[in-house]
Amino acid sequence: MTRHLLFNLGRSVLVLFVVTFIVFALMYGDGYGIAYSVLGLTATPEAVEAKVVALGLDRPLLTQFGDWLGGAFTGDLGRSFYTGQSVSEALSTRVPVTLSVVIPTLVLTAVISVLLGVTAAVRGGVVDRVVQVISVGGTAVPSFIVAIALVFTFAIRWRFFPATGYTKLSDSPTAWLASVALPMVALLIGAVASAAQQFRTAVLDTIGRDYVRTLRARGVRESNIIFGHVLRNAAAPGLTVISLTVFGLLGGAVFIEQVFVLPGMGQLANMSAQISDVPMVMGTVLVMVLIVLVVNFTTDLAINLLNPKARTR
Amino acid sequence: MAAALVACSGGTEAGNAPSPDATGDPGAGATADTGGSKGVLRLAMNQDIQGWDIGNQPGYMGWPAEAVWDTLFKCDAFNELEPDIAESWEINEDRSGVTAHIREGMEFSDGTPVDSAAVEASFTYIKETSSRAADYASLVIETPDAYTVSLTWDEPQVTLEDKVCAPKITTPALIESGNTNDEPIGSGPYVLDAAKTTRGSVYAFAKNENHWNADHYPYEELLVSVIESETATVSALKTGQLDGARVTAPSVAEVEASGLNTKQYRAQVPRLILSDRTGEKIPALGDVRVRQAINMVFDKETVAQALYLGHAEPTAQVFRPGSRAHIEGLEDPYPFDVEKARELMAEAGYADGFSIELPTMTGQNHETVLPYITQQLAEINITVEQVPLSGANAIGDLLSGTYPVVFWELGNIGDSAMQIYIEATPDGWWNLQHQPNEYVDSRFEQMASADEATSEKLQQEINQYIVDEAWFAPLVYAGGFWAFTDDVQIPTDSFVEGLHPALRDFK
Repeated sequence: MTRHLLFNLGRSVLVLFVVTFIVFALMYGDGYGIAYSVLGLTATPEAVEAKVVALGLDRPLLTQFGDWLGGAFTGDLGRSFYTGQSVSEALSTRVPVTLSVVIPTLVLTAVISVLLGVTAAVRGGVVDRVVQVISVGGTAVPSFIVAIALVFTFAIRWRFFPATGYTKLSDSPTAWLASVALPMVALLIGAVASAAQQFRTAVLDTIGRDYVRTLRARGVRESNIIFGHVLRNAAAPGLTVISLTVFGLLGGAVFIEQVFVLPGMGQLANMSAQISDVPMVMGTVLVMVLIVLVVNFTTDLAINLLNPKARTR
Repeated sequence: MAAALVACSGGTEAGNAPSPDATGDPGAGATADTGGSKGVLRLAMNQDIQGWDIGNQPGYMGWPAEAVWDTLFKCDAFNELEPDIAESWEINEDRSGVTAHIREGMEFSDGTPVDSAAVEASFTYIKETSSRAADYASLVIETPDAYTVSLTWDEPQVTLEDKVCAPKITTPALIESGNTNDEPIGSGPYVLDAAKTTRGSVYAFAKNENHWNADHYPYEELLVSVIESETATVSALKTGQLDGARVTAPSVAEVEASGLNTKQYRAQVPRLILSDRTGEKIPALGDVRVRQAINMVFDKETVAQALYLGHAEPTAQVFRPGSRAHIEGLEDPYPFDVEKARELMAEAGYADGFSIELPTMTGQNHETVLPYITQQLAEINITVEQVPLSGANAIGDLLSGTYPVVFWELGNIGDSAMQIYIEATPDGWWNLQHQPNEYVDSRFEQMASADEATSEKLQQEINQYIVDEAWFAPLVYAGGFWAFTDDVQIPTDSFVEGLHPALRDFK
């Protein structure tokens, strides 16, 4: 198992390198455009030229990427082309906002999806149909539409929650909860809809196995079969679903943070990408890729621990 | 130095009477009282500022800059000088510069004094490093004493007022340190509250009680949120999270239905910019009859009613009513007449039309008007190919001269001399091909040292010429709306671009 995990770790590092290089290369080559955009409408060609040099945008791609990578290894992600703000400083305020929405949403997604998936698989019939209809509906409606509907209903019409803005958990737990409640629900609906279906399928698949029939024939209680055996064996595909949900939530956060004006990483990535603020974009990409890789690695580890067959690979 | 003819001092000087704003109200004035202290003023801007460098601050939604920095002078809605750091001044007879007398006792937020050395350092910084460096290239700064500064260019300046109003004044030490982008040091009416600020999201400011004109600013705290989405802006307005924000015409009914007030800022003239007037890139555009024909295919009344939802007024000229260049009662020489337009095209030898590339950018609210423009130009066989621009270089591409015809909602600046400079002179960035024109350029040059009456005459001549020569195809006077709560009053308008209230307009 150790060898397998080490292999996965090496693969993750390679993925991190390749993804960041691809993003960097895609943003490369528009140095004059960036300098012009930074300086504004009235910039003279001389000023633009000087800015290109000052920002180091006149250098070859590999040199620029090498500099960025070297800085990243030492924790220096550079400064925004536009605001001069340190990327690390910006991320230190932005990442917690995004995570404070994504992590609780992920936990709720896992709990609700398991409950719905297991219930649908075990009870079948009408309950199963209802869960499936809800799942299809939840998957079909984009989260930003859900978000706008939630704002109109619960913020504008009933004034239960703020329509926009964010309060830090440390400033006021209740205000924080109010500020993230609607964004969480907006993300949760799509995430649960998708994950519950996957859990249902995984449980149904496991429930049909021979060993479950044998357990039932031996008179083992149904709850013990479901929670002690079926869920354990359905865990591998379930954990994979949850890890994929993290990626979906991070992507959804880009839109949700716009609608709810949350000062998170998604909003920063969106704004920075629009103006080709390369250091900021690279910083947010790095964090997102790292989160994805950590989640993947952790999922792999958990599956290995839960599943003896996986451990022997 | 040239003899000083125009001498002014704060508030009561001759020749510096409050100027009318876009709607005819008096200007903000420099020393108006407040009517009492108020709590928090919460505004939204739809794009982030680019840090705190004094040389890189936006005019549009530039409330953060107005909050933290004073300027040597304030300029009103028509770019007339008002006191700020300077409490009195004399403009050189030939308009080559100004001598300013700095009010004593002012301090920056770091406790250092506001004096002529700070003004000199700030102007020098703008001259040497900012994107407007060219405007200050020949500027000579003299500081005969700690509270007097003289700014002199090597020739008369048409846009002198804009040039002396624009630079924000900060400390020599900050400029020396090179950390100009990190945190602002100014003497303005508010001080940045870094603890409550999240860059790119919300900027918080606390009132500077020591500001020379603190009574003019009633709010104890200022919060400026960055909200790109208009949907989110409207939601925040409707739920009381904002006190004011700019919205577009489609949102007006919704915010008004929620009990909010709206005020229109008709400071824009959506228009086709027909910049290739010599036919360098598109030979047909070199024929005035073709440009006039283009003007005649648009039914401006319908545009005002259908596309701008009645919040617009047809116009044949691009200058703001009340500005010097504006010609009162100008009759539209190009009424909607497609048949006549076709005749003009045929006379010019372009009955079969030609093709143009029309650049487009998202977020400009052109989605409804561009199809109409495409359809109407097709009536005279002009084929439009829309070219989407995006990314960091979008504006650069737009202004690069690559596209001889551009549709844009250009502002009609209160200072029409400034507008002529930007849109009609070879150096102007909205004169996209930068083509010189003897008639316009000679008059613009004369304006530099002309008295007010002569300048007005020259500007109106330029305006008439631009209309006759169909440099643009203007559609309507239009513009955005300011939506605000009952708690906020906006009795004045001081922003020269007229797009929204200035910070000093909020009461």
